[in-house]
Parts: sequence; C-alpha cells; structure tokens
Amino acid sequence: MNAEELTQVKVDKSVDARGTSCPGPLLAAKKAIGQIEKGQVMEVLSADEGTRRDIPKWCNKKGFEYLGTIEESGFFKILLRK
Amino acid sequence: MANKKLTLALFSGSVDKLTAAGVILGGAAAEDMDVDIFVLLQAAFAFKKENAMVNDRVSEITDKKDEFLASLDRLNTPHWTEAFKTAKEMTNVKIHICGFAGKVWHGEKLEDFIDLADDICGIGEYMTSAEEADINLFI
Repeated sequence: MNAEELTQVKVDKSVDARGTSCPGPLLAAKKAIGQIEKGQVMEVLSADEGTRRDIPKWCNKKGFEYLGTIEESGFFKILLRK
Repeated sequence: MANKKLTLALFSGSVDKLTAAGVILGGAAAEDMDVDIFVLLQAAFAFKKENAMVNDRVSEITDKKDEFLASLDRLNTPHWTEAFKTAKEMTNVKIHICGFAGKVWHGEKLEDFIDLADDICGIGEYMTSAEEADINLFI
C-alpha cells in the first residue's frame, strides 16, 4: 500500500500513545486490539522511533495485517488491520 | 498453540535494572507470553513492602543517577512496580520470591513483600521453569 492509499484507509479505532515511551505504544496497541472486530483497521499514534519497527513484527506474530506507516510531524501513524 | 514462555531470574534490586525488566515484561505481555519471575537476593530487597517505592538505587553509571531518574520522569516511564503490574494484568505473569533471598532481607512471609508477589519458592522451581522456557534471562 503506497502513502496515498494509506491516507485513504478508513480507520475504525485510533490509539494515541504519543505520551509514552517503549513499550507504552505496543502495550496500548495490545489493549486496544481487543476492542475492534476482525477486518477492522486501527491506527497507533506514536512518537517513539522503536514502535514503527515493533508494530509490524507484532502484527506478524499475532496474525494481524500491517498496512503501513505515515510519517507526520514529530510522530508516526501506524496502521494495521485485525 | 501454547503460549511461549519467558523465565526471568531477577537478581538486581536497583531501579535501572528493574526498569529494564519492566520494559522486557511489556514486550512479553504484548506477545501473550507466560512469564515466571524469580526474585533473587538483591531483588528481594526491592520487593519488600517498605522498600519498593522509596528505593532509588542504581547499579550502573551511578555518578549520573540524578540525570537518569529525572529522564525516567521526563519520558513518563512508569515506576517498575507499575510496569510489572501492567504486565500481570495483560498476560500470565507469576512472581516468585526466593525463600533464601527473603530471609536475607528479613522477609519470612509473602505478606512482607509487595502484593505483586505470588508465592515464596525454592530453586527447584526456577530450574523447572528455566528448562521449560523459550527465553531465559538473568538480570
């Protein structure tokens, strides 16, 4: 999915973890994933550089689809489909 | 499929290493790992009820302790007890106090330790847990 397509994705749940450091964003994602249905999309907002690497690996292990990361000013939007 | 298992031999009673342990526990919790923590010698001091929140010792780069502790605050890092509690809420974490370590610090009963502790055990349980673990760490 390219950057433009990513921005068009309908997000069902947004998790703002910008105030936390590792492993805060990953744990926030873990907590929130239980609140969406299979097939729905979640975005994780994180200012933590490590999270953009952690979430794709976590998705791979847990069987979720990592869609991509949008780089914003000072933070990342990391999108995944349950 | 059974969850993967992390066994952690936690020897250190200093907040820098306990904080690192808390970060690793967060990673284990995110992946639904089962975790056994064995609280050994110096860590048993930190787990005593009267010490857990006031102990601010660090074991590395001790001349920069104030900067380190201030940075933890600046980064909104949860206290290690909070990180351990969060991990316990999110996955199967059992915290075992080594009976010998407890006695070293005059902790004979489970009630002498913070509520996160599940039981007091001997080294045999650590050996069994370590044999079964996918990841075995000593901190």
